[in-house]
Amino acid sequence: MAALWQLLPVTTLTMRQFTGGRTARLALVLSLIPALFAAIYVARPWEVTPYEFTIDLFRELIVPTLLPIVVLLPATAAFGNELEDGTLPYLLMKPVSRLRLVLGKYAAVLLVTIPALLIGLATTTLIASRGPAAGDLGRVLIAMAGASAAAVALLGAVFLLVSLLIPRALLAGMIYIFAWESLLGRFLPGVRAISSREHSLQVFDGILNDDFPAASNAALTMLVVAVVCLLLAVWRLRSIQVD
Amino acid sequence: MTETLSVNTHQTSTELTPNELPGLPPGSEAVIALQGVAKWYGDVVAVSDLSVGIGEGVTALLGPNGAGKSTILNLVSGLIRPSSGTVRLLDRPVRGDTNLYREIGLAGEQEQLYGSLTGREFVRFNAILQKTPDPDLATERAIALVDMAGAADRPVGGYSKGMRQRIKVAAALVHDPRVLLLDEPLNGTDPVQRASLIALIRRLGDEGKTVVVSSHVLSEVERFARNVLVIVNGNLAAAGDFRTIRERMDERDHIVRIRCDDPRRLAAVLVTEPETTSIRIAGDGRLIAETNDVRQFSRLVPEVARREGIRLFEIKPVDESLTSVFSYLVGS
Repeated sequence: MAALWQLLPVTTLTMRQFTGGRTARLALVLSLIPALFAAIYVARPWEVTPYEFTIDLFRELIVPTLLPIVVLLPATAAFGNELEDGTLPYLLMKPVSRLRLVLGKYAAVLLVTIPALLIGLATTTLIASRGPAAGDLGRVLIAMAGASAAAVALLGAVFLLVSLLIPRALLAGMIYIFAWESLLGRFLPGVRAISSREHSLQVFDGILNDDFPAASNAALTMLVVAVVCLLLAVWRLRSIQVD
Repeated sequence: MTETLSVNTHQTSTELTPNELPGLPPGSEAVIALQGVAKWYGDVVAVSDLSVGIGEGVTALLGPNGAGKSTILNLVSGLIRPSSGTVRLLDRPVRGDTNLYREIGLAGEQEQLYGSLTGREFVRFNAILQKTPDPDLATERAIALVDMAGAADRPVGGYSKGMRQRIKVAAALVHDPRVLLLDEPLNGTDPVQRASLIALIRRLGDEGKTVVVSSHVLSEVERFARNVLVIVNGNLAAAGDFRTIRERMDERDHIVRIRCDDPRRLAAVLVTEPETTSIRIAGDGRLIAETNDVRQFSRLVPEVARREGIRLFEIKPVDESLTSVFSYLVGS
């Protein structure tokens, strides 16, 4: 633990904040909600195969709603909590580049959300596989994991930036998730094109259907947007005023 | 220390060199220089056209709550940008130069700390981010300086206010900075903790560090700083030697409330005394006296009462609040 502090102090501190508070537990609980749906499905299988059920669950529930919320909680808390309780000067008043601070926080967001989501997806897949004629669920799990990792990378950076720009980032994020990703993104083609949902599903479909160029293109787009957001967060941290 | 005092209600000294700024004892060099600094939030002016220099040793920022002391410390630490003017520390602009933070330690006014960390982890975290060569050694040294070794392995979330203050000070000085900024560090401390922190502040000042300590308690400041900047309504009301400022504060008229069994007779005698500026009987039967020499007056009243056979129940200054004291300085 002491070595981790020495090597990655900001990440270790943020992880301690997440695990010491409710953030990490909440991320894990939310990630396990699809497993509950899978258990209901297995108890009384509908007229779909586990393969179709798992894909539908991922496309309709996890990607547009659950995954963004799981990312939103730690990403807005990473800097947001310190802004709110006045502890940010302990980070800012150090001879440490703002890029290093942002990357340290971002790494903590990834380290909390990705394992939580992977546990949730694996549990869901495992439970769903007990249904009739399970099919190649292992492949679905890999595609879901890849798409989720890309979505976390993108949304983590977006929400981290938002938390440095506006005071009620959690609320703004919730509105974004429910209005933009979950609702408008389904019906309006223009919105769909610039939603994280659409790109995450392109990664998912690409991996699932062995269309790796399509998956790579979508993942690359998401990565570029994430990098831009992180650079904007660095700029914001340089100019921020803390009273 | 020289007996200097300057009173500035309208600073326009933006063209002074840093070493000529108000607040610096003669011959001192400015480690911190604020020139023509103002800070406002919308219509609210927190600091107004402030020019002041701070050198080595302990300097107190003295002023009532809301005077702008914390804003000044935040400006000096680069956490906020001045609306106008310049803030320089060690002759470098304080904002945008993260390497300058090797030279600064701040124990700010915020109550919250990283609650899940122990005191030792919190100080060590600061030592690591400050890139001290041996964070463990620096941590133990800083914790020992504030007498927190016994509680260092407890989570800071469970600390009393006084313990939080001390661990904040430990975190601020863990990298042995040249400039230490302490925002009301004695708030919430018990008498023993207070004496220990005061001794530490004085020692750091004697070692040649620049220690800036804000306080709203006049009697407290006397114990650790001789050089004082009096801040009122975001302005520098007075700067210089503490005793000179204190004497100036004592020169003003004071209002004293007296409760006795024969207020009319006591008033009739006191009104003839030269220390009494005015005297009246309030609705509740108490005497309200105004005096130009509160020390002499407080000796005089019991003497007169004894001589006249009047029973005295209470003598109490009623305008000893810092706001009234500082208002006097600004008014003068």
